[in-house]
Amino acid sequence: MSTHDGQDDADDHDELRDLVAAAAFDAVTPAERERVTRHLGGCAECAAETDRLRETVRLLDVPPGEGTGPHGPAPWWSTEESGSEDVVAGLFHGRRHTWRTSRPQATEVAAHAAVYAGAVAALTALLPHVDVRWGYDRWKVPVVHDWNVQATLAHLLAADEQLAVELGVEPRVPPSPAVRDETWEAYWNRRTADTIRHELAHAAELTRHAWQSQTAALLATPEAHDAERAARPVELMGMRLPVADHFAVRAFETWIHTDDIGRALGLHVPPPPAPHLERLVRLAAGVLGQALGPGTPPVRFTVTGIGVWTLGAPAVPVRAELALEPVDFCFLAGGRRAPDTVPHRATGDAAAVRDVLERTASLAWL
Amino acid sequence: MVVPVDPTDADTDGAAGAGRARARPAADAELHGRLVYGDASALAETYAVYGGLVRRIALRVTRSPAAVEDIAQEVFTELWSRPYAFDARRGSLRTWLSMLAHRRAVDWVRHEARHRKAAPADDSALHTLPDAAPGPVETVMDRERSLLLHSALAELPPSQREVVHLAYFAGRTYREAAAELGIPEGTAKTRLRTALRRLAETLADPPEPSLGRGA
Repeated sequence: MSTHDGQDDADDHDELRDLVAAAAFDAVTPAERERVTRHLGGCAECAAETDRLRETVRLLDVPPGEGTGPHGPAPWWSTEESGSEDVVAGLFHGRRHTWRTSRPQATEVAAHAAVYAGAVAALTALLPHVDVRWGYDRWKVPVVHDWNVQATLAHLLAADEQLAVELGVEPRVPPSPAVRDETWEAYWNRRTADTIRHELAHAAELTRHAWQSQTAALLATPEAHDAERAARPVELMGMRLPVADHFAVRAFETWIHTDDIGRALGLHVPPPPAPHLERLVRLAAGVLGQALGPGTPPVRFTVTGIGVWTLGAPAVPVRAELALEPVDFCFLAGGRRAPDTVPHRATGDAAAVRDVLERTASLAWL
Repeated sequence: MVVPVDPTDADTDGAAGAGRARARPAADAELHGRLVYGDASALAETYAVYGGLVRRIALRVTRSPAAVEDIAQEVFTELWSRPYAFDARRGSLRTWLSMLAHRRAVDWVRHEARHRKAAPADDSALHTLPDAAPGPVETVMDRERSLLLHSALAELPPSQREVVHLAYFAGRTYREAAAELGIPEGTAKTRLRTALRRLAETLADPPEPSLGRGA
């Protein structure tokens, strides 16, 4: 039996060496503590180690600070919780130095424009990361197409401008010369190129300022605060939609380019919060339904957790079923996923499924 | 889609089971998304869940209620103003906030210590000393050694530091910490030992700035 015990001891020793440290942190179960104690009785090496590690934890427990309370040092466990509103109020209302380094909340607007206000807040929070690092100006980091960060922001400035001008906001960039009988696409291509050229000719900080002041002006329009006024349909970039939906289109593009910039900087940009994402998905699904029209084979289309639509001809039975996750669907519609590689689940007529995926990718919003 | 924040998780004193830890990544991602998109109510919710932990760590290290207020505000301001510094795919908000609070608290104590050394010992300072006899020499030495240890803890590689934070400040067992971090239990145990041995070594050796041995 003694040989058997000896083998157990050797196994114990190897296994318990790590457990000894966890026990010194009191991060073990009572049963494991019991095992450690039994082992220490017969193992001088582990006992010495335990003494050393316990002394280390004891010293960690000694508060390194002397304390400055009016009645002497407070014990660390006396946690008088202050209400969360104290700290949060302090952050926003300038107690001590915090407000200077802080950032504003998303602009408060009506529900239909909140998705755009959120996207603007997310990009605003990302821009401080576009700094000079290791002597390299990160405004010049390549982002997407042949745009760097500054050009991407200039492109957003031009795209937002279409809605801004419609709502009576003054353009930030001198007007492009008029061309007779120009299609909206030709004008838009010219305008975004002019805007990018104009912005790249000066400091990135000015582009940031122009984008920020234009987004603020857009969010200050009556249409951003009044759902009734935002119900007015307007044709922009070839799409006739209520102003409320145009705010969502602006949010969509702002998010996609924020994600582009985040990737370029090595930062993960989370997708919009669930209610915002739902609004974007519903809008994109509606546009997709119109693009497919009644002449295409019927497909039952699901965006997980958000909705189910029948696309194409309003006939039953459907020829195929297709389901995508919300973010994948948005990235596909935004040109950031390819129809043949985007994760999806499908059954039925493969050609009908492919048609829906390809049509989604060709919505060409961005 | 919306994962509600579990208010019971505000208790970070150690009774938490591993099962509860599994719910946090989704809740963290949801809170973090709202922070990024400028929703200030998410900051209040984050404070409601983790404010207690941040304040306990700050008080434990500094022993100064006034410092606790400053540190809590600094930590939550940093989360709010630079939300992209946290990545929900790489770790939990609990360990991120815990490590940030500890680092700020150690900075505070270091700053205080430098300030005390720099300040001339004038009479008014002497008069404000408490009536009770100062603690034994060991107490002062312990405090210095403790600062050394906490400074070393703040410099541990993140993979070791996060396990120590969960075990030591959040009161998790190594098994619970492993579940929360999504790593094998044996790895959590080994990292705890590597970290604690390294801390023990800093008491014997002068602190070395070079780091990099992983667990």
